[in-house]
Amino acid sequence: MSAIFPSIEWLEDLKEKLNSDEKYARLAKKWEGDMLCVLEPDETLKEPMYLYIDLWHGKCRDIAIWDEIGDKKPAFILKASYANFLRVLRGELDPMQAMLTRKLGVKGNMAVMMRNVPTVLDFVRCAGEVTGEAL
Amino acid sequence: MQPILKINLSTQIFEEYKIPAEWERDYLGAASLAARILYDDLTADLDPLSPESPLLILTGPLTGTFGPATGRFIVAGKSPATRLWAESNVGGFWGVELRKCGYDGVWLTGKSDSPLYLWLNGTKPELRAADHLWGQDTYQIQESLKAEIGSKSAKVLGIGIAGENQIPMAGIFCDHGRAAGRTGLGAVMGSKNLKAIAVLGNGEIPLARPDKYKKLRVLANRALKEDPLTSVMSDLGSAGAAEYLDYLGEMPKKYFSAGTLEGSEKISGSSVAETILVGKKACHGCVIACGRVVDIGDGEKRKGPEYEALVGFGPNLGLTDPIFATRMGELCDRYGLDLISASGTIGLAYSLYEQGIISAADTDGLALEWGNADSAETLLHQLARREGFGALLAQGSLALARHFNAESQAVQVNGLELAYHDPRGASGMALVYATSPRGACHNQSDYFLADIGQVDDSLGLAFFDRHAGAEKAANVARHQDWRTVGNSLVICHFANVPPQTLLDLVNAACGWELDLDALMRAGERGWTLKRMINLNLGLRAANDRLPEPLLKALPDGGAAGYEIPFDEMLSAYYTARGWDAESGVPSREKLIELGLEYIA
Ligand code: SF4
Repeated sequence: MSAIFPSIEWLEDLKEKLNSDEKYARLAKKWEGDMLCVLEPDETLKEPMYLYIDLWHGKCRDIAIWDEIGDKKPAFILKASYANFLRVLRGELDPMQAMLTRKLGVKGNMAVMMRNVPTVLDFVRCAGEVTGEAL
Repeated sequence: MQPILKINLSTQIFEEYKIPAEWERDYLGAASLAARILYDDLTADLDPLSPESPLLILTGPLTGTFGPATGRFIVAGKSPATRLWAESNVGGFWGVELRKCGYDGVWLTGKSDSPLYLWLNGTKPELRAADHLWGQDTYQIQESLKAEIGSKSAKVLGIGIAGENQIPMAGIFCDHGRAAGRTGLGAVMGSKNLKAIAVLGNGEIPLARPDKYKKLRVLANRALKEDPLTSVMSDLGSAGAAEYLDYLGEMPKKYFSAGTLEGSEKISGSSVAETILVGKKACHGCVIACGRVVDIGDGEKRKGPEYEALVGFGPNLGLTDPIFATRMGELCDRYGLDLISASGTIGLAYSLYEQGIISAADTDGLALEWGNADSAETLLHQLARREGFGALLAQGSLALARHFNAESQAVQVNGLELAYHDPRGASGMALVYATSPRGACHNQSDYFLADIGQVDDSLGLAFFDRHAGAEKAANVARHQDWRTVGNSLVICHFANVPPQTLLDLVNAACGWELDLDALMRAGERGWTLKRMINLNLGLRAANDRLPEPLLKALPDGGAAGYEIPFDEMLSAYYTARGWDAESGVPSREKLIELGLEYIA
């Protein structure tokens, strides 16, 4: 049974998946940079949530749930409503579509992001595969 | 609207042309309004390079208003490349300065006996001798004219040697390298012996509800700055998404014959940013600033390559060097050539050479092998100067292919070379290219962005798989209508502005109370009017075609194996547009529904 999204257990599942997925390891072997997913509240999620994922050379080094961003500076910050994050994870909303329709905000080095589109899409695939139940 | 300055270059008579008030709301401005104004003048037997051929330069109601990416204007007429409707839009600062002179457009007819330039100092127009400017490139005329009229603030629009030589792919350029490149209107300007137009104004840009507009534009620009697409365009330029397009098999290689190319990752905004980028440049009031400033190792700051330059003088020719693309881009700008058509025609020559249809005996000994940068550079010089083998290329890819009995090999539609977005990577572009009023153009609709997700519920623009077929035809038509609105206002397509925001800005600028439906309808009206112009000019359903090479699947890459179901798509498109299934002519009911009774 998969962990509920979003939760620390879901992040742990994701970490395990990323660290065991051969395709992801291959595609992401040059990726360097941690990321914070900011889940903005909506009808389902009452408070914002900050899911931290540290990715390095095809592996996931660390995960955490933060209380706030504070003065921390992750390489990338992805911001969307809880519902839109979930739609991306479930394959109902294409990640590029989410970005181009302003449903997903992206902050960070765009050169790195665009250079690594296949990595990003494969990361989303892995995250989708560990997503079952949600709030 | 402010009047249009009308000039007959044969008689040197100036007039003010007042636009009928009802046309303003029906056609919005710029591109669609130009079609309305020129409707009666564009006839099938009109030679685009004759004195009778009109050249209309027109701004839109948002030009120069500091709205989001709204510093743009258009040029229009009859294309010497396609002999159909010609339209090209351009940024920079010139259009804004024209409006500050108290004019919203300049309408040129006739032909001068000797080279002239127009100097518009406020509302005072003056035609001056330009013999000394003839032969100068589009960068040189900037400096020369500003020095001559004694104002660094003046803005200059003009042609290079390509326009003087009436090459059907010559564009009209302003500032340093801002191009109204497509459809060959630089040749029309050259045929009139008009080298340049310098403008300097100090008036106010008219706004119907200035206080409201100013508040709205602050919010709109703030939101645009935060938009993710803006981050990509601002940080990485127009080639910001190049890697993704390459990944999808949407970036053409070896003249549309290959899906992959070793080293193509160097052809991207990221690569430029990480190697040669030293700054950014914006058109008037634009918060995106997609223009690149680069140093290619000679210590000089120069215009960097946009996506089309990187691909046209890159993978299109089997090359992957952003510095070479920068240099060729600048050469095109200086000569006053449309970069897409020039590099596309050179690409065809390389392809014919590979197939053995032409040989070194035809090319004055040049080896046109994929990856040969020197030959491409030589051909570009020859093309602009109509010299050697280049003289054949100067007529464009359709003429070049016909010369060698290889018409089906030319990747063009109705005489205009394809932009560097392969429809096999994003199938909506197949319809865009086949039905665009100006040939294979991506500015009438950049549907590849909709194919990767830039859609909008409020416009009824849904998301379809990039390889979907006929089911997306109506969506493509709506996207074309929406971009027709943009080309009329004029707003840059790179600005991802929510439709409601744009509507509010238009209403505040013009004092209207339009809703989104009315705006879309104006777009459809403009699109349909251009269709009617083209039908008058001889376009037939048989012209709504994709070039043969694109109907075959690519062998490799992100679109490998995919074949475009073109016929079904086109048939669904005609239905969605209310056009006759056989002839492609808009029905009388459709014309009346759109308020085009006068041509029904
Ligand atoms: S996005 Fe680029 S081309 Fe468009 S208006 Fe801004 S600077 Fe000009």
